[in-house]
Amino acid sequence: MSFSESNTFSAESMAHIARIINDINAGVWEYNTDTKQVKWSVGLYAALGYAPGEIECSYNYFFDHLLYYHDKPAFLKTTYHPRHGGSPVAHIRLLTKQNGYQWFENTTKRHETSDGPIIHGVLTNINALKMLEVELAESNFNLAETGRIAKLGSWEIDIATMGLKCSKEMMEIFELTEDVKMTMEDSISYFEPQYRLLLTNIVNDAIRYCKPYDVEVQFKTAKNNVIWVRCKGMPVLNDYGKCVKLRGIFQDIDSIKKKGINMQSSINLLDDQNKRLQNFAYIVSHNLRSHSGNLKFMVNLFEESRQEEDRAEIFSHIKTISESLSATMGHLDEIVKIQSEITRERKAVDFETMFNNVASALQTNITATNAHISTNFTDCRQIDYIPAYMESIFQNLLTNALKYKHPDREPVINITTQKTGTDVYLLFEDNGVGIDMARYGDQLFGMYKTFHRNSDSKGIGLFITRNQVEALGGNIQVESAVNVGTKFTIKLV
Amino acid sequence: MNTEKKIVTAGIVDDDEIFTYGFKKLIINKALFDEILTFANGKEAIDFLKAPENVHHLPDVLFVDINMPVMDGWEFNKAFEEIKSQLGKNIILYNISSSIDLDDIKRAKGNPLIADYILKPIDEAYLAGIAQSLQNPTDLKRYN
Repeated sequence: MSFSESNTFSAESMAHIARIINDINAGVWEYNTDTKQVKWSVGLYAALGYAPGEIECSYNYFFDHLLYYHDKPAFLKTTYHPRHGGSPVAHIRLLTKQNGYQWFENTTKRHETSDGPIIHGVLTNINALKMLEVELAESNFNLAETGRIAKLGSWEIDIATMGLKCSKEMMEIFELTEDVKMTMEDSISYFEPQYRLLLTNIVNDAIRYCKPYDVEVQFKTAKNNVIWVRCKGMPVLNDYGKCVKLRGIFQDIDSIKKKGINMQSSINLLDDQNKRLQNFAYIVSHNLRSHSGNLKFMVNLFEESRQEEDRAEIFSHIKTISESLSATMGHLDEIVKIQSEITRERKAVDFETMFNNVASALQTNITATNAHISTNFTDCRQIDYIPAYMESIFQNLLTNALKYKHPDREPVINITTQKTGTDVYLLFEDNGVGIDMARYGDQLFGMYKTFHRNSDSKGIGLFITRNQVEALGGNIQVESAVNVGTKFTIKLV
Repeated sequence: MNTEKKIVTAGIVDDDEIFTYGFKKLIINKALFDEILTFANGKEAIDFLKAPENVHHLPDVLFVDINMPVMDGWEFNKAFEEIKSQLGKNIILYNISSSIDLDDIKRAKGNPLIADYILKPIDEAYLAGIAQSLQNPTDLKRYN
């Protein structure tokens, strides 16, 4: 219904069309670029909230008073020839009489007529649509931001095609670009190997038995970063109860999970310490009871005995008990000391010097057993440690290695340090009688636990060593085989 | 009525030499049992019970300590259960210990093989009661 096609309409049709143009809910305008003459339809006034003639109908008035200044370039572009970058449609804001600026869609067309070049256009109010569009963009932005901040992606599998759709945030967690297309199998291959079967199974169960799932697993991103992720899947059912879609979320929970794991290991350590304290209390009670019980026993017997040689023997036992009681008290002191010494200052301890001191104190035992001791502290020569602890650790381990030497061979003892990152390890290896780990492994570091019929086994050394090591945040591990030897691996820091 | 006094043999399984000495001394002084065998740990006792030459010298009652090296009281109880049916004698077992750990007490008392868990220091009157019941064969039936 262009004016220029008037020759195809009768005069009556033309009058009719002019009426229609004035009545439709859109503004129509015409501008002759030579004569600067402007025509506005009634609808254009109406669209802006005016009666015809209420405002000046001119190009200047439109451009200066109605058109929002920011939209001027966009509007001008519609009047250019397409060759010069013109595009016929623009969204512009015009000032209305009562509702402020409103969004309009302006479609422009250029014609060459005998009167000169004419531009005409149609303006439609699209304010409501534009508002929806803005709101949608805003909520999409919010959603994307929420996902990005929560490191939360979403995905959907269409069961019929097994096509996988992933959100932008999910691809970010995968550290892949958005345009990468993945199949279900591709996505599973990003998970750490030990979790792949689990994921395949739960996804299959979700599809087959409509079973939702929620798991926390380890995942390796495209850039080889291993992180903890949470995968939650929820089947979408059709009216027949069959799973047609699987929808879910995929969240990077690495930092929270690692905090949880740290917390758990602290809890385990505390739990261990509690158990050891409880055990310690029982052991102390057991030992003090057995000594005091024996003392009472012997005192009674002494009173009842009339024979001189009996009394002499009983008295010698009473002396032994008295010594054992002192020794037990000494052990108690040592254990209490571990806790009180922990506040002492750590000093630079030189492994070589410290070991030589301990070895010279035990020289008699070393010579007596003809032990071959080799040390290598080149990987880590020094450590910040409580010197008394280090001395005690060396002394206990060396004493043990000599005490539990194999009867058929001379002791060979290897002591080395090892540095792994910031961790310092002390390795202590012997070729002694060894310990049956399956049988005694869990009691090895218990107090007064002895596994050999050695009269000088007291079962206190390893208990103390472990407490010292753990008091400074380390741990101690042991590998042993009967008749082969024992290897202690001590993580000092 | 059996007027002839039955010969009763007791065994003590404990690595604590002082306790073992006192235990023996007490039994001799009070004439609680007629014979007494001593074993330094569970393994020595099991080896003795299993040896064919000892079949006529088996004890009537064994007092077994819990904390011992080589083979402790728990391991002894288990090993004893395995050979019990092959022994020519019904041997009564007691566990003795200084441990007041409830877990230890429950563990011993919960074992149908164990007549009782006796806390050290050992109560003389209680020991005399055991000796008395062993010398009187009618009382003995309550253990069978």
